[in-house]
Amino acid sequence: MALDSSVDRNIRFSKRRTQFFKQLKRQKVLHLFVGLGMIFLLIFAYTPMFGIIMAFKDYSISTGIKGIFTSEWVGFKHFNEFINDYRFGEIVRNTLALSFLKVLFTFPAPIILAILLSEAKNLRFKKVVQTVSYLPHFISWVVVAGIAFSFLSADIGMINKALMSLGIIDKPLDILTNADHFWGLAVGSAVWKEVGWWTIIFLAAIAGINPTLYEAAQIDGAGRLARIRHITFQGMKGTIVVVLILTIGSILGGGLVGSNFEQAFLFGNSINNSTSEIVQTYAFKVGLRDGRFSYAAAIDLIQSIISVILIFSSNYIAKRASGSSLF
Amino acid sequence: MALSQRQKDRIMDSLITVILFVIFIVMFYPFYYVLILSFNKGTDSLTGAIYFWPRAFTLENYERFLSDPHWYKAFIVSVVRTLSGTVLGVMFTSLVAYGLSHQNLLFRKTYFTIIIFAMYFSGGLIPYYVVLRSIGLLNSFGVYIIPSMLSTFFLLIAITFFRDIPGELKESAHIDGANEFVIFYKVILPVSMPLIATMSLFTGVGQWNSWLDSAYFVQSENLRTLAFRMMEVINKSNAPMDSIAIANSASAGVTSYSLQLAAMVISVLPIVCVYPFLQKYFVQGVMLGSVKG
Repeated sequence: MALDSSVDRNIRFSKRRTQFFKQLKRQKVLHLFVGLGMIFLLIFAYTPMFGIIMAFKDYSISTGIKGIFTSEWVGFKHFNEFINDYRFGEIVRNTLALSFLKVLFTFPAPIILAILLSEAKNLRFKKVVQTVSYLPHFISWVVVAGIAFSFLSADIGMINKALMSLGIIDKPLDILTNADHFWGLAVGSAVWKEVGWWTIIFLAAIAGINPTLYEAAQIDGAGRLARIRHITFQGMKGTIVVVLILTIGSILGGGLVGSNFEQAFLFGNSINNSTSEIVQTYAFKVGLRDGRFSYAAAIDLIQSIISVILIFSSNYIAKRASGSSLF
Repeated sequence: MALSQRQKDRIMDSLITVILFVIFIVMFYPFYYVLILSFNKGTDSLTGAIYFWPRAFTLENYERFLSDPHWYKAFIVSVVRTLSGTVLGVMFTSLVAYGLSHQNLLFRKTYFTIIIFAMYFSGGLIPYYVVLRSIGLLNSFGVYIIPSMLSTFFLLIAITFFRDIPGELKESAHIDGANEFVIFYKVILPVSMPLIATMSLFTGVGQWNSWLDSAYFVQSENLRTLAFRMMEVINKSNAPMDSIAIANSASAGVTSYSLQLAAMVISVLPIVCVYPFLQKYFVQGVMLGSVKG
């Protein structure tokens, strides 16, 4: 009996095995396609992930990839060095300030614009405004910086020239080259570039609201503002929560508009450096420019860890608070 | 004096129209201003007070752009990387997605885990740089197109799309003896044009606008992209001492500032041209932004 069933199991097993190999053989071309993708991810995504251990080592670039594994362990040396860096406080402050200010302004802006657009009576006009509003999303930050320069530059900026000729100011405003103005400049340009794009997702939410709700509210005597508050805003709530989670998770990169690095890089200069240097630009400078790879990797890693914590905690809080979450 | 509901509504309507109009101006005018300034004589622009149309109309800035190797070479690099990067990226991503779209594929779960993990975590810039360096991509044209060949986000979109293609299409091709590659190329791709168009447009715009990779990974002057060249000028002119020097480094009415304005128009132009097509796929694109987060 027992022997029988084990033979039986063996037969079944080998049958399953041959079936497995048959299937594998039949799918061999598909596995080739997928395999190429996996090799790609191994090289460009997973090798760098393992490479992060260089933050705990004294790595020298001349030793190549192998050096990441063979170089000497130094523990938290580079982390300590960063924390004791004389610029540490300033850089962390700038990163946090820029990130929180950007979320504070770039998150509500598209919600407000979406409500305004949905309230517009003239559909043609609405369409034109909307179409123009998301064009900046598709242009490079470099062009945005160029536009900012042609408007705000102290020497040739249009706004300065106009205000001076009108006699409103007698000295050009140094918006681009003043440490006090960098955060405002970054937030303002981020709102300008991305407000229209994020409006789309909120307008889609508004479009999904049942129009009979508005009619019923009107019959009940609800005014315009009351309808916006109780119907439009309520209808957007789910979308707002999802977008908020995403925003907070990516806050250190600049929230949903991203681009902290690009802004700090493009609008930053030697004069506003005290407010424009952020963790990412600093890691870039000490790493790729000065060749201190392990040190820069450690700086990068600190930021990544904080980001991952933020993603998971904002997701957790959202799940608790409203029942909607991403994962 | 109490206002009737009707009057209140009317006031609110006008208020909304005025606000939207202001937003429209703020969004649109910067583009318009750059456009008219790029058609104005560079030395003349420096005196300011140009608001609605060019004061000293000229095509010099564009002529100079096309004859200055510094700029037109960068333009060519940008065009080539955009075309090749888009074709390669879209083809490779959809090929991998096609393989993964088969529900009965062995190890399917494992493959997906690998992809999702790679989507959420990254090793950061420095180890990535080391990898590119050791496989010889640094300072080569390949760095623009090879590392961006596979987009995990579009991979997931494409898998969903291919999965919904009726199985009979593939089966009948199988019976005809076609191999998987032929099926992908002759059967799947032609019915997936909306997907291919979406991926191409967004990949193309990204390639065209990209300058960070040129700044990070390339030293050769011959490999600079258009966006990178503009970044160089902006970085220089943001330093206050330099901007006057740059404005004055003029020859025959063209300043480096007016040349840059022409470059900006040239770099925005292709995007404005594909804009009507892009618009069709916007909502999907917003989801893209949100997943990438």
